[in-house]
Amino acid sequence: MTTGDDIYYLAAARLGDLAERDVQNLKPVLEWTEGSRPFAIRDCFDQSLRMSRRLLLEDGGLLELISATGEALRQPATPQARFVAEFAEGPVKAALAGLSPLRALLPIVSGMARSGRLALIDAEGKTRARAELRELQPTDGNAVILVTPQALRGYDRAFHDLVAHIRDCGGTPLGAGNLYRMIDPASIGYVAKPKIEVGREETAFDAANDLIDGYLPVARANEQGIIADLDTEFLHDYRVALRKIRSVLSLFKGVYDPGQTAELKARFSALMAPTGPLRDLDVYLLAQQDFCDLVPERMHDGLDRVFARLRDRREEEQARLAAHLRSKGYQKDIKALSKLFSKRRKLLPGPNASRASFDLACELIWKRYRRIRRIAADMTADTPDEEVHRLRIECKKLRYLMEFFGPVFPQDDFQNVLKRLKELQDSLGLFNDYAVQQIRLQAFTEDLGDEPHKLDMAQSVGAVVIVLHQKQLAEREKIVAAFTRFNSDRMQRTIRRLFHEGKGF
Amino acid sequence: MQIIACYSNKGGVGKTATAVNLAYAFAASGRRTLLCDLDPQGASGFYFRVNPSKKLVDAQFFEDDERFIKAIRGSDYDNLDILPANMSFRDFDVFLSRMKNGQSRLKKALKAVKSDYDVVVLDCPPNISMLSENVFHAADAVVVPVIPTTLSRRTFEQLLEFFQAADLPETRIHAFFSMVQNIKSLHGETIAEMTEAHPGRFTQTTIPFASDIERMGLTRAPVLATAPGSRAGKAYQALFEEILGRTQT
Repeated sequence: MTTGDDIYYLAAARLGDLAERDVQNLKPVLEWTEGSRPFAIRDCFDQSLRMSRRLLLEDGGLLELISATGEALRQPATPQARFVAEFAEGPVKAALAGLSPLRALLPIVSGMARSGRLALIDAEGKTRARAELRELQPTDGNAVILVTPQALRGYDRAFHDLVAHIRDCGGTPLGAGNLYRMIDPASIGYVAKPKIEVGREETAFDAANDLIDGYLPVARANEQGIIADLDTEFLHDYRVALRKIRSVLSLFKGVYDPGQTAELKARFSALMAPTGPLRDLDVYLLAQQDFCDLVPERMHDGLDRVFARLRDRREEEQARLAAHLRSKGYQKDIKALSKLFSKRRKLLPGPNASRASFDLACELIWKRYRRIRRIAADMTADTPDEEVHRLRIECKKLRYLMEFFGPVFPQDDFQNVLKRLKELQDSLGLFNDYAVQQIRLQAFTEDLGDEPHKLDMAQSVGAVVIVLHQKQLAEREKIVAAFTRFNSDRMQRTIRRLFHEGKGF
Repeated sequence: MQIIACYSNKGGVGKTATAVNLAYAFAASGRRTLLCDLDPQGASGFYFRVNPSKKLVDAQFFEDDERFIKAIRGSDYDNLDILPANMSFRDFDVFLSRMKNGQSRLKKALKAVKSDYDVVVLDCPPNISMLSENVFHAADAVVVPVIPTTLSRRTFEQLLEFFQAADLPETRIHAFFSMVQNIKSLHGETIAEMTEAHPGRFTQTTIPFASDIERMGLTRAPVLATAPGSRAGKAYQALFEEILGRTQT
């Protein structure tokens, strides 16, 4: 019987050394099992696993999660599974529970694997110690051998000799990190939220350029994932990056020349426009279960039909957007914009261009904040939806401004304000979702034409709309409460201190 | 933990080959298995290339659980360990009672080294003695190879008488015909008569007289490991499955 679970790894180039010479009078015998099988190292596009110093290895029928210290969790692989929810229950799935359920686990490295065994045998032919070997040969990159020495009961010395031998041959204790480095040394990570340092004294012009130049590559990095339809987060991240760029253009007033500002706004707006319909459909389809939970089970058949229709439409929209992103016109425009903000020679400064970021940020944030207070002060249970919507937009702009300039403010106070603002935004967001969904769903039923199950579908949608309406009403009360917290005396003093009294630190 | 004893009160009937192959089959089925070599002439350990350690013949050996554990050797096969001991009756008695008792220091010590066995296969010496009686009491199954000859018939009946006299349940006895040669009419007749005379005591499976089994002395490995597809290999696998079926119901 065997003990010992430490895994070592070594470059496949050192394999020959393992079986070359006797180890303390024991003869090494190396045997490979016939045949090989595909393997893949999988991670989300945002490298959540690599960032958390873990490595997910799918090797034939086995799924293994290797930690930084080399401990491995194992369970049978689920063929074709891409999202954590699709994996069979097991320790690996349980450990992956923290990953985004929306992100596909994509193969970042793949190739062929084979198994073997290294045994140290005595003069009588008895195995005294052995090691399980696994060779991973990636299609691109360096092959590695994973070596798991196994002690046989009663032969402790042979086991220690074997471990020493493995180390002599370059074996290093396995951790997720060193396996990544060996297989994929040049990997450059994708970061959805790049840290863009805005300096206190940096000019507003430079800060705006840095931000746009920082977010354009984020948008571009997501293009292929949208085209291949790998998961819905590619489009989401793409849109968030473009939205940030657009908010820099609209919120940093007077940083660029007015004519150029208008032109850039129009160009980025044109980039954003074709992405809307697909994102809307994604949001509905991701919420399918939530919608079903809102209404009685007898309505589910009708809803299932609605979602089947939405899936068809999504397929069409996805194909349309993919074609757009591949088109020469799009490629030309996005490349030109990237060049414009990386070279910066053709960018025209506006009246506020040379102001210090900190001053401009304070002014812009303070203005937004006062506007929010004015709108919210008049809010009652009877305030029309449009006013609530305006409040939501203003809060969103305030949030973007605060995040752009975040690094130049004292963090404790800043984070407190941000936390209350987020709460308010969550409530406003839900309110808006409920309102928009009611309108969209009604439009959907009016648009059904000669659909054979029209009545079923309309009834189910009707039931959902009623529930959404009630939820919207309930959310309005929560908005008032969230605003009261955001607008407390203490918060007011903090915000004034941070953004209006010019002290900052 | 299940204790399977391979026993015959007659020598040279293929008992050790049975113990070795059954232990291998239990291990291969995923059960953590310990094969104990209790027969000084049986040499189960020899078949696994494991030499008895000098420490094992120390009289005080089993007084010390740590040293007992140190005597266990890993075989070349997954899940299978060997205890290559030449035990005295007293040692064995202590050993058995400690293996059976979940609270014993031995059991705890085994657990600590992750060798808490699912199955213990005993290769017993060929005589009815105090040792054998203890084995019969402790074992969940006593697997008895019987060569279908007149002489074997007598010794098998002696074993049954012993069970009756000692008030042991005969249902623990799982006999099978060993070294069967189909060309010998005497073998066929004896099998038929004994099966009828002792309903339920004999397995359906018989183990043939086969050169593969004799070659175990050269290959020093179970037939099930070297020639699983051979007639003997298939027969041992069938015997294992039948014993498993009979002992787990």
